[in-house]
Amino acid sequence: MRRRDFLACACCASLAPGLAAAQPAWEIPARFARPDAGSDEGGLWSMMDREEVRLRKSPFSLRDPKLQAYVQDIACRLAGEHCPDVRVHLVRTPLFNASMAPNGMMQVWSGLMLRADNEAQLAAVLGHEIGHYLARHSVERLRDAKSRSAFGMFIGMFGAVGAVGQVGLYAGMFAYSREHESQADSIGVLLMRKAGYDAAEAAKVWENLQLEIKARPDGDASRSPFFATHPPAAERQQALAELARASPGGAANEAQWREGVKPFLRDWLHEEVKRGQHEESLALLGRMIARSPALADYRWARGEVYRLRAKDGDLDSAVADYLAAIADGGEPPDTHRGLGMIHRARNQAAEARASFQRYLEAAPDAADFTMIKSYLEELRT
Amino acid sequence: MRTHRGTLVAATLVVVLAGCAAPVTKVDSGEQTVGDRLQVSLEGPWNQVRAPALAPAQVWTMEGLPLDRLLVYSGIKNEQLIHAEGPASLKNFAFRSTMQPDEIVAMFEGMLTRDGSSFKLVKLGPASFGGAKGFRFEFALTRRVDNVQLSGVGYGTVSNGELFALLYQAPRLAFFPRHQPRVEQMARSARIKT
Repeated sequence: MRRRDFLACACCASLAPGLAAAQPAWEIPARFARPDAGSDEGGLWSMMDREEVRLRKSPFSLRDPKLQAYVQDIACRLAGEHCPDVRVHLVRTPLFNASMAPNGMMQVWSGLMLRADNEAQLAAVLGHEIGHYLARHSVERLRDAKSRSAFGMFIGMFGAVGAVGQVGLYAGMFAYSREHESQADSIGVLLMRKAGYDAAEAAKVWENLQLEIKARPDGDASRSPFFATHPPAAERQQALAELARASPGGAANEAQWREGVKPFLRDWLHEEVKRGQHEESLALLGRMIARSPALADYRWARGEVYRLRAKDGDLDSAVADYLAAIADGGEPPDTHRGLGMIHRARNQAAEARASFQRYLEAAPDAADFTMIKSYLEELRT
Repeated sequence: MRTHRGTLVAATLVVVLAGCAAPVTKVDSGEQTVGDRLQVSLEGPWNQVRAPALAPAQVWTMEGLPLDRLLVYSGIKNEQLIHAEGPASLKNFAFRSTMQPDEIVAMFEGMLTRDGSSFKLVKLGPASFGGAKGFRFEFALTRRVDNVQLSGVGYGTVSNGELFALLYQAPRLAFFPRHQPRVEQMARSARIKT
């Protein structure tokens, strides 16, 4: 099937699901051969190959064989025959993001994994990226990027920011078109269904993201560079929900996902708190607590965000969350430190002492050990 | 799914452009006053770089940006930003006079990681700074733009509700150990004029 025919077919299947039922089943294209090295696409592949070597060595790379194999397996289930060409790289960055380069290098950021409620939601995002890959959208964009500066922006589409020098700094200003994004959504949903996932979870990804966007102090998603070139989250959520309704069923695999990411959750929450985007974090953590009210880590993280924001009533909310985390059990040691800080600021010496002592007992190697020790001495006098 | 890539890029641009074509002036050895109230004694000269993106900090360097960087904050007031206001997509970090040392460190951490860099607190403890009770911290920073691993040291104190602080960072293998003693000496010499 020629690429243009393939895209047209994918578009029919995705944008008019009722009509698509009467159409011949859409087929995933055969694996792509490596393009000729002398072609523009071949040059792009070579550049991405070099980028992938750098990514493997990057200190931001999350090197955990078990988690990597788990996410790779999800990608493989979606990619089907293309599985050998898709190489997943987990990247430690607390933002919602994934990308796939035309050579098959796929990046999955920790902020995305933190936000996925289940396997199906991660699959929705990975399926979308594989959709760009299968439709070879990047090649179309490459040919649009005529000028040198535009090419730099183009390279940045694949997460190469920082690794290709200043030419990549304009990444994000050059992105897939809205049409490409919609097509990738449609293909992603088809891949989800094929892999046995519940496609309704794709719409929930955007529903969840909207909660965070609306919580921003400006509350205006249109000010985000992302929405300059992407369909708005609400529009996207609606389109995906319609697609999912055409073919209900499938698995979400929530329990498997929770188990798979459990060893990393505390680290990812630490990174989320440290972003300093308090309103977005509160929206995210509120949603997570509603889903898993007994998980101490979420309570600790929200308490920490409240404490650091410190607006009216925030310290009371922080104390409530810290105490709930302690009541749940298995709380991070930092829970006691946070509680101690608030008691100290409120001149509640006995309570502060008790909290700091518990913190130092639980975290004797803490970076701020001497600082907390000095607070204890100060509180004794 | 590039929801935040634009944010990272904007932050990176702010950081990189902060060091581009900036006028450099020499800061001589001896007694120097930063802002109106922070007095330091320098053993050897520094280079001061004009970097509006990092204002109200004064930006000093020994080797040149972006190799090493000393940020000097003098008299930052309650609710004042510790850097120039960036694009709407970027989080701004402001000082609050009620902040405890760990919150001040978290504020600096937020500022240093706006471009996606990674920050790890290595040590935080009490220390005298500016003739007042303050704190000293050490950190490791992995710079997003080039994956370079930096070491850093900071000092700070809050005096009459205003923040006074030094924040030095340099590549950890050669430049940081080379210049750290000079920064420590400078921190020890610091005095806040009343």
